[in-house]
Amino acid sequence: MIRGMTAPAALLALALCAAPAATQQQFDKAVKDVNQKMVKIYGLGGFRGLPAYGTGMAISADGYILTVSGYLIESPKDLRVHLADGRRFDKIKVVAVEPELDAALLKVEDLKDEIPFFDLKESAKRPAGQPGDWVLAFSNQFEIATRNEPMTVQRGSVASVSRLRARKGITEAPYNGEVYVVDAITNNPGAGGGALTTRKGELIGMVGKELRNTLTDTWTNYALPLNAKIEVIPDAEKPDVKATVSLLDFIDKGIKGTYKTVARVRPEGGTGGYHGIILVTNPEGVDRAPPYIEEVRSGSPGAKVGLKSDDLIVYVNGELVSSVKTFKDIISKTKPTDEITLEVKRGDKLRQVTVKLEDHPKVAKVPAPK
Amino acid sequence: MIRRPLPLTAALAICLMATASARAQAPAEDDINEALEKAIKASVAKVAPSVVQIETQGGTELISTGERGMQVRKGVGPTTGVIVSEDGFIISSAFNFANKPSAIFVTIPGRTAREPATVVATDHTRMLTLIRVKTDGKLPVPTAAPKKELQVGQTAVALGRTVINLDDKELKQSPVLSVGIVSALNRIWGKALQTDAKVSPTNYGGPLIDISGRVQGILVPASPRDENVLAGTDWYDSGIGFAIPLEDINGVLDRLKKGTDLRAGLLGITMQGDTFSPPVVSAIQPDSAAAKGGILAGDTIVAIDEKPVASQAQLKHQLGNKYDGDEISVTVKRGDKTEVLKNLRLSASLTSFTPPFLGILPLRDDPEMGVEVRYVFPKSPADAAGIKVGDRITTVQIPGMMKPQQFSGRDQFSAIVGKLPPGTEVKLEVQRAAGGQVDPIRVKLGVLTDEVPEKLPATASARKALEPRKGQNAPAPKKPEKKPETGLLKRATAARENEYYVYVPDDYDPNTSYSLVLWLHPVGKGKEKDMEAFRDAWEDYCSANHLIIVAPTTESEKGWQGTDTDFVSQAVRDTMAQYTIDTKRVVAHGMGVGGQMAYYLGFQSRDLFRGVATTGAVLASPAKDNIAGQPLSFYLVAGGKDPLAKEIADTKTRLLEKKYSVAHREIPAMGHQYLEIKTLAELVRWLDSLDRI
Repeated sequence: MIRGMTAPAALLALALCAAPAATQQQFDKAVKDVNQKMVKIYGLGGFRGLPAYGTGMAISADGYILTVSGYLIESPKDLRVHLADGRRFDKIKVVAVEPELDAALLKVEDLKDEIPFFDLKESAKRPAGQPGDWVLAFSNQFEIATRNEPMTVQRGSVASVSRLRARKGITEAPYNGEVYVVDAITNNPGAGGGALTTRKGELIGMVGKELRNTLTDTWTNYALPLNAKIEVIPDAEKPDVKATVSLLDFIDKGIKGTYKTVARVRPEGGTGGYHGIILVTNPEGVDRAPPYIEEVRSGSPGAKVGLKSDDLIVYVNGELVSSVKTFKDIISKTKPTDEITLEVKRGDKLRQVTVKLEDHPKVAKVPAPK
Repeated sequence: MIRRPLPLTAALAICLMATASARAQAPAEDDINEALEKAIKASVAKVAPSVVQIETQGGTELISTGERGMQVRKGVGPTTGVIVSEDGFIISSAFNFANKPSAIFVTIPGRTAREPATVVATDHTRMLTLIRVKTDGKLPVPTAAPKKELQVGQTAVALGRTVINLDDKELKQSPVLSVGIVSALNRIWGKALQTDAKVSPTNYGGPLIDISGRVQGILVPASPRDENVLAGTDWYDSGIGFAIPLEDINGVLDRLKKGTDLRAGLLGITMQGDTFSPPVVSAIQPDSAAAKGGILAGDTIVAIDEKPVASQAQLKHQLGNKYDGDEISVTVKRGDKTEVLKNLRLSASLTSFTPPFLGILPLRDDPEMGVEVRYVFPKSPADAAGIKVGDRITTVQIPGMMKPQQFSGRDQFSAIVGKLPPGTEVKLEVQRAAGGQVDPIRVKLGVLTDEVPEKLPATASARKALEPRKGQNAPAPKKPEKKPETGLLKRATAARENEYYVYVPDDYDPNTSYSLVLWLHPVGKGKEKDMEAFRDAWEDYCSANHLIIVAPTTESEKGWQGTDTDFVSQAVRDTMAQYTIDTKRVVAHGMGVGGQMAYYLGFQSRDLFRGVATTGAVLASPAKDNIAGQPLSFYLVAGGKDPLAKEIADTKTRLLEKKYSVAHREIPAMGHQYLEIKTLAELVRWLDSLDRI
């Protein structure tokens, strides 16, 4: 038995002694298979540090290519595509672009034969990736390859499946749905549009751009899952009617030539509802002054649920309110009829209240002198 | 047999073994990959209930380590912690609280309610913070992987709780994970293990776990080169990550739980040479563990806690993970004897010695008993006590001495007085120049001045340096057999690898002691013509004020390197052996990178240098403590137009914090260039007054 050897050590020893050749073979097959379906894209760029190259995936036999949206594909006459077999095509059509999904659909024109491609519909039927899954990322990051040279392959694990909260510079990234965060450094210049696959080479996502995670202030490495979707307003005249557009929808309609770029639902900035809570003003030198309650107007929605001075507002609708500013930002997006759930700290206990916002009183009440 | 369920991984391994043999030693690759993947997921799931999410309110947006230090933007998102005891204690990385938040909230997996938490204590050596939540239930504590089982190559998974998912208030979701291996053990002077899993604010404070779901360590940013809370953050996601072994944390957990902040335990010794040199003690801090434990300057440390150490690096590995209050035994070699000094109690802070000041310049090279006063600093304690130029101090009595004591010359006098703290009352007997009567004088020592006398008496020396000293058994200095060479001389070190110049004035007098000025040229100014130009600027002073210049050269484009220390020091020592040099006035002088080298040498070779004079140079490393018996004074020049002027002013502040005497001159019209004549003249007077007492 495993006497003297810990279980994991035994497992590893086994893996190391018996497996290397076999394991490599397996990756080799997956890599060969995926590489046939990858394309290199060249377009606008080459200035202000913006690379003029990118990656794409063939998604049909007749030359439809999926990649990320952005400046690279903005000028169709400058676009070129190198197929995996090394052939170069200069006539590229931009079929559809959806910045909210950060996706773009291209078509290689003048393609006479059939090329290997990812069957997205089939791929999307497979269960989604889970944290801990081994993954492979394929991309032409840093333009290391050209023509028929294979993509750079990176191995990693799915670190988490979570909503993307990221920014480029100070601009918030438009797509904020779920992504695969990976623990390999995959999102480098030119990697956007690359393939994220299982270790068997089954496609699960498209490698995203270079973005900074706003929560941790670090560069984030992520891929758009095949089941990515956004909520949209199909008709600007009817803002209350929402519909969901998925990546597959986008591709489907794009190929049919019926896809229209949409406006995403965004919380409207408003005057905000009235709560009657006055917060302690910003003490000097503290960027993130915590939202302590200075006073609650009598008869106000805040007073009705028993909020008191010295209560500390911690969460609004489940999200941490890091500062006075965040609280004001959240409230400014509400309407007078909205309900908000607050968790406030009083002493060393957190208590939850639901505040029903109202219309702002016409004249602010001035407290009577004592 | 062991009566508990076999860990999943073991079961897997066995199952794999069976498969392996069934398939004639060639298991399908899928089985192995899948087994490993599953084992990793299982180990994550096992630890996940102990990995908590931490959210903070308030605090600053930027975390900085000081005026010109690193700055890092603190993300607004949650951070990670690990439950370390079932009654609500949670360990995390100090980085997560470095922006000084005003409120902390913890989400414990499996519970929807967030709990307010408070900071209990911080381990400043390992950059960990212990927080506590109130809890009625028993919280799940993960198992620590025994340190002795940690091996390089073992699977290591880094976990964080930094994902916000409003639909998952109970944190049922898997923690954020990154898979890697243990890359090295005993990093950061024995305090951390290293991993190639991606470590970043995404998982700082989270656990690094092994494949059976045991916690190897707690993830922290760390660097072997610095100890501040941000050190190592620039390595995030690089494949260089660190974790503090949980076993070590558990070892000090009781102290942390009591609210005791933990700091590094310091021995209080200074050594010379680089990290590979043998650990020879060159100086000892007052009140330190070394001082109390009986370590002496000159001792070679050969073992700590009976573990042999052969180099300074090995010594640092033995001492680097010690805490304030830890007791160690130190084995020293003193001459032929080896001595074991036991129960040395390390302390967190060392006292920087504040050098005292009487306020006189002694007449040099005087073999008579006592000390003749050459100059009295205006408004100094000596001036206030009525000591006059020409008086001879004949006896001294300090606290602890039963009666006045005679002494032989300047060096003995300063050895007695120079180690006393300022404020000490000293009794002197002074034989007056006018009249010859002997007066008893009481004087309270002040703090060493940073003033440079505006005018000094031309007579500085009795010109009897080679005569035997009265009252000392030491043999008289050897008289040179032939007249030493003078002029601008080109020399090489014994190994003939490095060149240096020496300038000795033509009227050199071996009976007068000379100040040695080590000139460290700025980048690219090490040619012969540069040395001649430097000589031209200095030669009149060399003659009138008894100065000898030693000027090593470097051709490196980057200028001086720490590795040049040995040859530069050797050049100084060789020159000191050949000429009559006043050991109290050996000064490293440099400009630009040469100035940085001067600071470095001043701190590294405390036995050699008594002064550092720089122009246009910023102190690049932390200032070391001032040491009794090895005083060091600074003369800093900055051009008002030099972009470095502000940083040079900051250098002054940092040196003052360590209680050094610092003269700082900012010359408004000057840029980044060498000294103009007025400042140069003052620098020469500063050199002439360095043996002040």
